[in-house]
Amino acid sequence: MKILVQKFGGTSVDRHEHRILAARKVIKAKEAGFQPVVVVSAIGRSGAPYATDTLIKFLKDIDPQVPPAARELDMMMACGEIISTAVFAHTLQTLGYKAIALSGGQAGIITDREFGNARIQEIRPQYILRLLEQGYIPVVCGFQGITEPSDEYEHGAITTLGRGGSDTTGSALGVALHAVAVEIYTDVDGVKTADPDLVKNARTIPVCTYEEVAEIAHQGAKVVHPRAAEIAMDHNIPLWVKSTFSDSPGTRIAGEDAPEAVRRRLTGITHTGKIVYIRLEIENAEHKSQVENEVYRMMAQAGVNIYLVTFSPTALSFAVPRNLYPVARDLLDGMVVPVGHEKPDAEGKIATYYIFKFSEGLDLAYRVQRPLLKTVEKHIHVVDVPASVIENCTMVSVIASDHRRVPGVMATIYETLTNAEIAIHQIADSEMSISCLVPEGDVERAVRLLHERLFEQ
Amino acid sequence: MSEPVSETRTPNVSFERERGVYATQVTRDVAHAVVSVGDDALRSSRILQLFRILAEANIPIFLIKMHRSAVTFAMAGADVARAEAALASAGLKAKTRHDLAIVAVRASSMRDLSGIMVAIADALYSVGARLYGTGDSHNSVQCLIDGERVQAAIQALCQKFHLEGQAAEEASLKTEGAA
Repeated sequence: MKILVQKFGGTSVDRHEHRILAARKVIKAKEAGFQPVVVVSAIGRSGAPYATDTLIKFLKDIDPQVPPAARELDMMMACGEIISTAVFAHTLQTLGYKAIALSGGQAGIITDREFGNARIQEIRPQYILRLLEQGYIPVVCGFQGITEPSDEYEHGAITTLGRGGSDTTGSALGVALHAVAVEIYTDVDGVKTADPDLVKNARTIPVCTYEEVAEIAHQGAKVVHPRAAEIAMDHNIPLWVKSTFSDSPGTRIAGEDAPEAVRRRLTGITHTGKIVYIRLEIENAEHKSQVENEVYRMMAQAGVNIYLVTFSPTALSFAVPRNLYPVARDLLDGMVVPVGHEKPDAEGKIATYYIFKFSEGLDLAYRVQRPLLKTVEKHIHVVDVPASVIENCTMVSVIASDHRRVPGVMATIYETLTNAEIAIHQIADSEMSISCLVPEGDVERAVRLLHERLFEQ
Repeated sequence: MSEPVSETRTPNVSFERERGVYATQVTRDVAHAVVSVGDDALRSSRILQLFRILAEANIPIFLIKMHRSAVTFAMAGADVARAEAALASAGLKAKTRHDLAIVAVRASSMRDLSGIMVAIADALYSVGARLYGTGDSHNSVQCLIDGERVQAAIQALCQKFHLEGQAAEEASLKTEGAA
């Protein structure tokens, strides 16, 4: 049985004409001798009547002061895909094909109990396989599963898989069904060298590796979710990214050892994130690591993820997502980190208290806390840790396989951006990419210039 | 219509990677450099000069970080002498530190996780492994530490992230042709 998993995103199923185009892709596969298994997302994107965001809002609007329980929120969100699946299966039926709509649970997708961000633990594919044998086209809800059915506890609670959940469903079903390939249909005709809305000369990449596409996706391109790419990579399932609206061949994503995979040096330019960059001046190098650790600990306890961490002998810098910046600032402003001395120092002081200061000390917590410490200054050093903040940043990334073995990549990027007077606040690199933190207002120019320099010359 | 089949079960397949840290990796024989670039109007052109000189000398650099008056970066230990000579010939002052290693911890969607940095810092601090630099990406945090502390650091990290018994992957820094 040549099973082909075909996943259609929200824009592929948002209107009748689009659903017909999507259905034609399924029928074409069926007529070519494949056994298609369809996965669909909710109809439309944010604002559409059955889109996931709309459904969440419906529940939250009941009383904005009372957040919905995660279990009920998942049940609500799952409705979007259920509606979409029934509509798509019926569309196929009207075109003369035997199709059947399946929820995640009916398709045998078993997850853990982490509502809102569940992980697939197991897929029991027997029912789908039987349907295929009987000539049906199963149409499966993306983004959802159920917990392990239990007579004692609950006969399978509906869960959702979090961001990129429908792509994840597609990849996981591909693995469970031993599919010949998984096709992710979207509104662009493959993985591009840059966002085509910003760069008109962006090219479709015919073949790229799982690692490249995972990196591209993580760095902001919305072609395929990295979780789906990771599943396909770990189980070596061929993945395609194609357009519902064209017959372009799309991008084939394969392992590095696949004969047609090209280990290219430069894959694309991406941009992502609304970021705030914070720099803390810590004068005493001897105590710096202890103070840093407390900053990390405080951020972790508040659920603020930090990245682009940079050390210097007298400073600690890091980035936080802009939506979490108020939390980070509230936490840090006026925060006191006490560091005890092993023995009294030359001035007879037994400890140093570090107090964090934003806005030249004008913020409330510092203004309240600092005078309180006056009383202990006879015995303890009190040291200000001034914070400087760069708001409104974003990251522009060059996806460059193996750049750590290739000299000159950074020089080219730096020269391109600084010649255009685009400030680079910080740099981060991994094995697969180099990212620059730039002002948000310059991001489009930065992407275009880097694409021109690296892909068009 | 068929009746659902519920009796037969497929063997468990691990579809997704575990949440959190799932592996560690070591890259040995790494050096770290601090190059002074000043904080005046010529800072930017000095940084560009620095990158160009190293590119022309065929020396890849990574874990690049920009500070107020300096740029720091890592490179393969084998490239240090050439880098020092190239930078000195351009009048750039570099302080280098040898015999370091990059210890990386890997996790899915690292930037969506909070608390990774404090866990790593705690683990490294507990074995006296000083951090000379860090880098982070969507799936890893890389820490530059003394080469002689690698074994203890890996042990501490594995304990912290419940990876006991799992060996660290080894990575290399073999240089290829210029970009």
